[in-house]
Amino acid sequence: MRAARAVMGSAVLAMAWAANLAYACPSCASPLEENRQAFVDTTIFLTVVPLTMMGGFVWWLRRKVRERDDAPEIAVPQSMLRDAGRFSKGP
Amino acid sequence: MPDDALGRPYGVPVRREPVVPNGVLGMLIFVATEVMFFSGLISAFVIGKSNAIGGWPPPGQPRLPVEETALNTAALLASGVALYFANRAFRKDSPSVKPLLGLAIALGGFFVLFQGAEWVALIGEGLTLTSGQLGGFFYLLVGTHALHVVAGFIILLYTYQRLSHHDLDRFTFWPAQIFWYFVVGVWPILYWQVYL
Repeated sequence: MRAARAVMGSAVLAMAWAANLAYACPSCASPLEENRQAFVDTTIFLTVVPLTMMGGFVWWLRRKVRERDDAPEIAVPQSMLRDAGRFSKGP
Repeated sequence: MPDDALGRPYGVPVRREPVVPNGVLGMLIFVATEVMFFSGLISAFVIGKSNAIGGWPPPGQPRLPVEETALNTAALLASGVALYFANRAFRKDSPSVKPLLGLAIALGGFFVLFQGAEWVALIGEGLTLTSGQLGGFFYLLVGTHALHVVAGFIILLYTYQRLSHHDLDRFTFWPAQIFWYFVVGVWPILYWQVYL
């Protein structure tokens, strides 16, 4: 078990050591400045979009929960619930 | 029947609305994945454009119909506005909901037909999926959006049919609206990136 861990650890270190051989960064090798800038811009764009969406959703949900919690609880007779059903037009 | 401390009769259940209806939540999650999908496509296009040797649009390729598509963009945006007012009318139980929803659907249909005609003209001019980077990206981005417009158009037709049968509830109407607003909202970005 210990030997296996040592082998795995060595393999990860070796890969990290040789990472520059892979040239995995396409913008680093591009001679065009515009292309490098496009990579930077799209990286920022693709990072910001999901964070904004998730943040916006959490903010909106929190607002909705607060609105609901602030509203007074009203007892509704069963007969009214039956009449309105799922077709009631709420806010 | 005796009342409890809050004055509510015992034995009567208190109905609490969910904060977000299931249909709305499901559609929001779906639209979030769609936003990421389109973001990926737009990013690929931006990088492809910046990588093009000889400038963009590539020389020797047909020009995209910028002015005509601006008119089509206005039609799609107007469709979104009509749907917004249809929802307001729906909430007020106003009879104008039907013509407004019909207008939104008609404008969406106009957008699809106009784009179809535009594609026929462009293919006639030699811009195809395999004619070059411009054609490949154009049909991929605009085509993917067109598929979404067609899907949204079918969903709106379904809501119209339910409305005609007095069977439309807000749990059906809201998700349909979210999808259509997404389709309408993503188009100006595509227009700006692809056509301008």
